[in-house]
Amino acid sequence: MTPDPADAAGGPDHRDPAAPSPQPRAFARIGHAQWADFWAGTKAIAPLMPGSAVFGLAVGALINLAGWPAWLGPYASATVSAGASQIAIIDALTQGAPAIIAIVTALVINARLALYSASLAPVFAAFPTRWKLLLAYLMTDQSAAVSVITADKWPDPVRRRWFIFGVSGPFTGVWILGTAAGAILGPVIPSEWQIGFIVPLMFIAVLVPALRTLPAVAATGISVAVVLLLKDLPYGLNVLAGALAGIGLASFIPDRADAGAGTAPGSPEEVAE
Amino acid sequence: MITAFVVFTIAAIGTYAIRLSGVFLLGGDRELPPRVRKALSLVAPAAMAAIVANSLLLNEGEWRAFGAWHLAALVAVGVALWKRSMGWTLAAGVVAFAALLLAGL
Repeated sequence: MTPDPADAAGGPDHRDPAAPSPQPRAFARIGHAQWADFWAGTKAIAPLMPGSAVFGLAVGALINLAGWPAWLGPYASATVSAGASQIAIIDALTQGAPAIIAIVTALVINARLALYSASLAPVFAAFPTRWKLLLAYLMTDQSAAVSVITADKWPDPVRRRWFIFGVSGPFTGVWILGTAAGAILGPVIPSEWQIGFIVPLMFIAVLVPALRTLPAVAATGISVAVVLLLKDLPYGLNVLAGALAGIGLASFIPDRADAGAGTAPGSPEEVAE
Repeated sequence: MITAFVVFTIAAIGTYAIRLSGVFLLGGDRELPPRVRKALSLVAPAAMAAIVANSLLLNEGEWRAFGAWHLAALVAVGVALWKRSMGWTLAAGVVAFAALLLAGL
């Protein structure tokens, strides 16, 4: 990637005391100041990295259980790059579902990323197109949340894009490496450990702490009920039906705190808590 | 295997389009309609709950026999509501599950 001339100058903003003065020294044709902003982003998301690595391990192990070659694990993590949908695809295909059902289920689950993309639109607005393409590719639940929360501290768009690259790039890297490790180590993990438990546990850990609004609680309850009621549907269609029913029915329930400004329901800020 | 590769690839292209949607279609003064925003905000809880129900309470389409999975998940949900923290929830769930397996459940 070729840095803009503006990048090499470190951008006009020097309000952040942590940032070093721009220096002519450069690594890989990227200035020192840019790496500093990148590193600040990586530090901001570092607390969430162990979870990403462990989740990656579990998804990689599932690839292995499905009997597929190990490289599919990191391939899926580097391209789809959204764990819940990858698990849904593995589940659907191992239950013998047609490809189209696996794809639709994955895209429904990933529709939430459209909300993050909308939240990030003003944050990315001043970036060149190639940066928008790159940073959108690296967008995850966690990195979108950190980016939206901290964007205000980076008023200069050049420094901000390096910061967000530092948030989302290494986080996705850890995720890919974790999946690769899981896919390779999969056969080594004893089956008595029942590593499959990480799947519900991971989603409980992400979902339950963030359950605050009535519609979100209702969506959860409706979804669980439909998944169980329709458990005899083939191909994991009960998961798709449960998710769609939860989204559709719960969206008619009014938010109690509708009048208040502040955080919109389900926004990345809320997910991050 | 080929099917899985194709499915992952198509899902990746579709997911990238979703990731690009807001960044390129919105921005400036254009915003999502409130109804759409609300529906999208419910995708995460509804989809995650569906996966939890399917992987925890069912096992390949049949009811999972009551045991360590249910009990450890209850511990995790309790800690999640109490601490409101992803890290604490994961740690509590793993420790509870390991203890229950060691206890022979």
